[in-house]
Amino acid sequence: MSGGIVLNWLASTPDFAVPYALAALGLIISERAGVLSLGAEGLMLVGALAGIGAQLAMGQPAVSLVLAMLAASAVSLLFAVMVIWLRVNQVIAGLALVFFCQGLTALVGSLAEWTNHATEGIGAMALWPLSLLPGAGRLFEQNAMVWLTLPIFLAVAWFFSRTSAGLRLRAVGENPQAADAAGIRVAMWRLAAVLAGSALVGLAGAYISVVSTKLWIAGMTGGRGWIAVGLVIFARWSPWKALAGALLFGCIEALIPQLAAAGVQLPQYFVMMTPYAVTLGVMVWVALSRRGADEEPGALGQPYVREERR
Amino acid sequence: MVDATLAAIAQPAQTDPEAALRARRQPLARRRYALEIRQHMGWRRQALVLAAALLAGLAISAAILVAAGVPANELANEFVMQTFFDGQNLRAVLFQAAPMVLVGLAGSLAFRARFWNLGLEGQMIWGAIGATAVSMWQIGPEPLRLPLMFAAAIGCGLLWVLGPAWLKIRLGVNEIISTLMLNYMAANFLLHLVYGSWKDPKDNFPYSPQFRAFERLPELGAGVSSAIALAAVVALFAWWLVGLSRAGLYLRFVDANPRVAHANGVPVRRTIYGAVLLSGAMAGLAGLAVAAGQEGRLTQAFYQGYGFSGILIAFLARNNPLAATVVALLVAALFVTGRSLQVFYQVPFSMVQLIQAIIVVCVAASDFFIRHRLRRVGAEAVQ
Repeated sequence: MSGGIVLNWLASTPDFAVPYALAALGLIISERAGVLSLGAEGLMLVGALAGIGAQLAMGQPAVSLVLAMLAASAVSLLFAVMVIWLRVNQVIAGLALVFFCQGLTALVGSLAEWTNHATEGIGAMALWPLSLLPGAGRLFEQNAMVWLTLPIFLAVAWFFSRTSAGLRLRAVGENPQAADAAGIRVAMWRLAAVLAGSALVGLAGAYISVVSTKLWIAGMTGGRGWIAVGLVIFARWSPWKALAGALLFGCIEALIPQLAAAGVQLPQYFVMMTPYAVTLGVMVWVALSRRGADEEPGALGQPYVREERR
Repeated sequence: MVDATLAAIAQPAQTDPEAALRARRQPLARRRYALEIRQHMGWRRQALVLAAALLAGLAISAAILVAAGVPANELANEFVMQTFFDGQNLRAVLFQAAPMVLVGLAGSLAFRARFWNLGLEGQMIWGAIGATAVSMWQIGPEPLRLPLMFAAAIGCGLLWVLGPAWLKIRLGVNEIISTLMLNYMAANFLLHLVYGSWKDPKDNFPYSPQFRAFERLPELGAGVSSAIALAAVVALFAWWLVGLSRAGLYLRFVDANPRVAHANGVPVRRTIYGAVLLSGAMAGLAGLAVAAGQEGRLTQAFYQGYGFSGILIAFLARNNPLAATVVALLVAALFVTGRSLQVFYQVPFSMVQLIQAIIVVCVAASDFFIRHRLRRVGAEAVQ
């Protein structure tokens, strides 16, 4: 009996973990290039709305997810211009982006009447030999996006550690002065990092709307973008640690409906606080342990101004 | 540095009238420009750049409003005439402005200490909860009830920001994330109360029972609530604190350079704590201004939109308390207009947030033109 609950819980964890994982990975890409992306919460909303819009119009989940990525990238262009060329404070620009996206998505969602229209999601895909395992086989019946998340992580981790392009991108985030002197075009790399990272953040948002809930409600990301920002600090800008952190948050979020289904009486609103409380706890833990403080990209949050180079 | 040196070399050449003439005759495609840091811009030109940015923001907003179905010729009427020259609407703006001024001041004060207090909404919620608790549990005799509600609102708002302040100063925990997480927690706690034990037993709607008459902010007369007077007093206090007091001087030291300030004997930590805690207290008061000044009870979503507005007001006012008061009045007018647009043209209220964000983006971007300039360089080198 209780074994069934644990199995259900573990089987539903990836569905909750994927948005955190993808958003955190997107943030890692842009923060490794030195751009502090506080706008994740807003870009996730853009991805979620664009995904549902495309889904309602065409009903092709793969197309919807790709369009959501493009939409988030397009909106992040505004942020990129502000922080890379106009040298606006990255905190201000990030906050402005979140508020802009919140207003924009709520407005477009209600004007286009996309709110609360259920769409068809994507079906489960069994990972063949493993899904035949007795009992635990259910763990390996996940939707295609869950399986796709792993190669995405592999690709990004490989890009950072094994390619010269990844090295350039990290150099731009560590020491843009030196990178510039070495002939690396700082602005271009930062732009590419913001656009690519935002695409993944948008994909995370579209996952929530198109795959998980299958409908759009204004503000539906509910702070997950901010949690992802915290998660990146927790993961010390490492993709694999971010994946582990995302699984942790997925476990916690997946536990809530399981406990309710098992008939455990818990004060509903306190339960809903847990992801935020855990984020806070994790931030404090990172600060207390003070490990790997030097893993933070050296120029994170600083605009690169060639005219001020010394 | 290369470009800067180029510019420095090119500078004397451009003062030469002949060279300047040649440079002017140079074909457009072959002209070269270098970006320079501008050391200083006169306040008149700064004001001009700011005005241009605001105009650009308003123009974009107007275009979006027209696209959303508001007739173009009605816009000016709706925005300016109806809002400021109609007695009833002006009262509505003042009514809306009281909490707006308070959150704007709260934002400015914390930002002056380089503390990103994004938890204004959470502190507002706790301020309102504190005030409501005094009313619910009928603490203190009748004449003391309102002062006690004030104390509770201030105390609760202050306590809710104490955690992030301590975590930031002691452990270096990022206050942006911590204050935001506390917002979500406070919002859920508010729902727990209004859907749970604090639900009005009379009609079972998710709000607390109505405050008694002596628990509400009194009317000043002519339909104007004393909440706006409260906001004005707090604004004057903030102006004195920031501009005239010793603490304000310390705050400017800390803002400019905490390390130098410390070396000069400024109590850096105490100054930051003071500014941040006061910021929380003011946000708590804003919660009281809504609960006891507008709604007359604790409701489930009263705080929405104030957190962002507070940050926007502080940013546009450059953390100046008096400027923040003026900006807060304008934002309040925008809110009132947004509500009437919602009623008359079915424009969703999220339009207000979008307009606010567009204006912030424009003003933030305009700063570039204040801090930089383009200079023609290398006319000689090309020829």
